[in-house]
Amino acid sequence: MKILIVDDEPIVRESLKGWFEQDGHAVDVAESAREGLRLCGQGRYDIALVDVKMPGMDGLEMQSRLAATDPDLTIILMTAYASVESAVQAMKAGAYDYIIKPFDPDDLSLLIRRAGEHRSLRAENLRLKKSLEVVSAPPPLLGSSPVMKRVLDLVGTVATNDATVLITGESGTGKELVARAIHAGSARRYSPLVVVNCGALSEGILESELFGHEAGAFTGARARHKGKFEAAEGGTVFLDEIGEVSPHVQVELLRVLEEKVVTRLGSNTPVSVDFRVIAATHRNLEECVRSGAFREDLFWRLNVLTIEIPPLRERPEDIPLLAEHFLSRFTSAMSRRPMTFAPGALEALRRYPWPGNVRELQNAIERAVVLSDGPVVELGVLPVHVAGAPDHASPGSLAEAEKAHVRAVLETNGWNITRAARVLDVDRVTLYNKIRRYELKRPANGG
Amino acid sequence: MGASPEPGAFEALHLLPLGPLPPPRVARLAERLSRHLRLPCHLATDVRGVPLARLPERDQIDADAVLAALEREAAGKGLVVGVTPLDMAIPIFTFVFGRARQGGKAALVSLARLDPGFYGLPPDPEILMQRAVTEILHELGHVASLRHCSEAACLMRFAGSVERVDARGAAFCAACAARLPAWLAAGPPAV
Repeated sequence: MKILIVDDEPIVRESLKGWFEQDGHAVDVAESAREGLRLCGQGRYDIALVDVKMPGMDGLEMQSRLAATDPDLTIILMTAYASVESAVQAMKAGAYDYIIKPFDPDDLSLLIRRAGEHRSLRAENLRLKKSLEVVSAPPPLLGSSPVMKRVLDLVGTVATNDATVLITGESGTGKELVARAIHAGSARRYSPLVVVNCGALSEGILESELFGHEAGAFTGARARHKGKFEAAEGGTVFLDEIGEVSPHVQVELLRVLEEKVVTRLGSNTPVSVDFRVIAATHRNLEECVRSGAFREDLFWRLNVLTIEIPPLRERPEDIPLLAEHFLSRFTSAMSRRPMTFAPGALEALRRYPWPGNVRELQNAIERAVVLSDGPVVELGVLPVHVAGAPDHASPGSLAEAEKAHVRAVLETNGWNITRAARVLDVDRVTLYNKIRRYELKRPANGG
Repeated sequence: MGASPEPGAFEALHLLPLGPLPPPRVARLAERLSRHLRLPCHLATDVRGVPLARLPERDQIDADAVLAALEREAAGKGLVVGVTPLDMAIPIFTFVFGRARQGGKAALVSLARLDPGFYGLPPDPEILMQRAVTEILHELGHVASLRHCSEAACLMRFAGSVERVDARGAAFCAACAARLPAWLAAGPPAV
């Protein structure tokens, strides 16, 4: 380490210099605060040991000046005239420590070692925070339409607030993206964002995942497991598809949200947890409340700030912007040269109603990049239902429209029945019936 | 800082009692030291007039002042190690076990805080002897231009308490051993 010793007594300067040099440190000395400030202005030091009582500028004033100009410098004040007031003043001004002459050799050695470790940890912390900012930065929320601009403004506003947020919107509109943007813009951004897809887990597993369990709480619970709320300590819990949560888990959730304590399954000891909740659903929760499927008290607990993300078909002016964004992202990810859209392809993208919303558009662009040989995305590489989408006003029977729409959603979702059923907002059985009725066939190669 | 002595530059180590030390104890210390050095160890008989300067308002001798006097008085007499039963310190530290200049020709070691009796424990001449030998070898390491070492087991690791004196190793680590001059690079571990 590089150490600066500032003391008006030559014996102290020389003794400490010799001492630290024996430990392999590089040492400079200054006989006054002014000289010390001059040296600090010329080069960087890791640690400065500064005598409090010196003629002219004293150590406390030097410390406050150094703290302003070089906040990374670790300052240790030394004095032979200890007083509680000067110690308090030193620590308040940010001194790392305050030691009294003469020093116990072991104490000084330990102090320097700890100061070095403290400095390394602080530097590492800064590095990690910077890398976290890069890693945790969510993909940009894009939209130039007035309705989307309002959403973006709202995201900025609620990010700085710590209240619960409910995000609503059809599947594929980017609810998780909005949740990530809120978390990234909040004071909790250096703590975890824990995502729980409530719709993908059975009641028992969801309960255990959310609240944790003790060893032996149920068959197979071999070890203690912290729940998502505990894992999110200091950060944000994103409860996706909150509308799918069972009545029993709704009761437990309400308790956790109200009391900010969780009790692991198999335990009687509540654990206090600090978190913010962002919930999302593609359902109309008010209707769910009216039908009795969702608790009204939980609804009001979640519905503090609401962000409604409009479906893509209601903001077609955003389609070119999003399409260009995805095109750039996928060409870069696939190490392809920059690509553009043929006018016909862009027009088809704009004309298609995108029932799967942004997710469907994203998948279509990814597929197009894979299938394109040249630098231009032609109409022919878009999914058939997109390329050949009739104008919205084109005549046709209701059954024809439904068949085309169901096929489009199935293709967009790679014929994943669960996902397609969720997009269509029907259950899986209904979807299977429609596939049979319209004689829809899964393509052999999935393309 | 003086230049490092060439290997074999010293022909003998002269052990100089400073203060009330029983001669048999000093003779035993010289004998024990000689096991770890490729140098004969003698009681210094021709070094006189090293004043035991005291630190103002402290019941301790001033290690740096005594070391300077030792180097002055022993000039031309080879390697001299002063041993004192008195407590020793320098102005900035509450105490020191020993002092030596890197590349110098003298070292100074206080037995006061190496003695279990200092801490209210029963006297144990063997423990005191072991600690004295390792502390002298540590200071001789500085005379041989070595700095403190970060290896936990190395004799050149800094020890600011008697527990750390006991905890650090009784031998030089490989890196430090490789830099030792011939006169110090001999003998088994110090305990």
